[in-house]
Amino acid sequence: MRNILNFLLDVGKLKGKKRRGWLLHDIPKSESTAEHIFRMAILSWILGRKKNQLNLERILKIALIHDICEVHTKDETPYDPLLPKDKKGIKEVLKKWPRFTTGLKKKKTINKYKREARALNKLISKLPSDLKAEIKNLWIDFEKGLTPEGRFVKQADKAENFLQGIEYWKDYGKIQYKLWKRWSREIFDDPILIDFIHSIDKKFFRKKSRPK
Amino acid sequence: MADERKYYLTKERLIRLKAEYRHLNKIKASKTKGEFPRFLHSEDLNSEYLSFYEDLGFLETRLAELKTIIRDSELIKIPSKGERNIVNLGATVLVEVDGQTDEFTILGSLEANPTLGKISNESPVGKAILGHRVGEEIFISSPVEVVYKIKKIRYIS
Repeated sequence: MRNILNFLLDVGKLKGKKRRGWLLHDIPKSESTAEHIFRMAILSWILGRKKNQLNLERILKIALIHDICEVHTKDETPYDPLLPKDKKGIKEVLKKWPRFTTGLKKKKTINKYKREARALNKLISKLPSDLKAEIKNLWIDFEKGLTPEGRFVKQADKAENFLQGIEYWKDYGKIQYKLWKRWSREIFDDPILIDFIHSIDKKFFRKKSRPK
Repeated sequence: MADERKYYLTKERLIRLKAEYRHLNKIKASKTKGEFPRFLHSEDLNSEYLSFYEDLGFLETRLAELKTIIRDSELIKIPSKGERNIVNLGATVLVEVDGQTDEFTILGSLEANPTLGKISNESPVGKAILGHRVGEEIFISSPVEVVYKIKKIRYIS
């Protein structure tokens, strides 16, 4: 039981860990990783219900563990390799969608996977072996999309992120919403999630939705 | 109800999935006999991935899915020379959008990975851009209009 307690104490650190993407955008009182996981799990469950034949328990478990490796590693943003140290420079970088060569994209993806796998291994190392294996398997599924559930949650993660980004845009106007809109049209292909994105569009982009 | 979905795959991916299917069948056979395949102890890069299949439930789920995918797959073929100026599945498209140039490849849902510049043919942009030619502009209708102008189309064999 002591190892489970220590694991939970570690995971609890995500309650106070701010998501780097929002910090870069200088969003006041931005969400933590745990807050993202919370709404993402609810979103995955509720929208996952609309899909026939998906295992909701698996969906929820994947959602709950998908970012826990961040206890021991930074959460990455698409802009990372381009970011200068000064705030003004960061603002400039955020104005455009980050572009990389295919080779660099692959390298970034492989390195991120290795870094996060190491962080997850460290986090779960002292858990009972069956639990450790289950968490690891769920995480691999999320990362590699080995089951329909893993593939659905991967996109649900982006959907929650998109919703949060649009909320921040509405509240603070610091998000390049046009870039986000464009991104949303390229990354989602699940019909339920595309429908969800349309609902966000209807709510936030009709008539007077200008940021303050 | 039977799933009538078609899985559009590149030749490389189909080969990999078939190899995985054969491999997993071997693991299943070993496990059924009560043996523990030696490669599951391997320390190579794939060992984490293989540990996924230590669970018989996952193994069978994945096997069933692979069987369906392979059965219902359709190979993405490079179009004939005369049709390579049209965006089809497998095309790598250079576009101008919001004053930036961007390049992505249109693939089936299973191979899509937007982080790597692989966009699904079932995404709004993937759907809209299919069938268009160099010089054409594609308007993605949403409350915020985005225009993609096709600058170049290529197919990698």
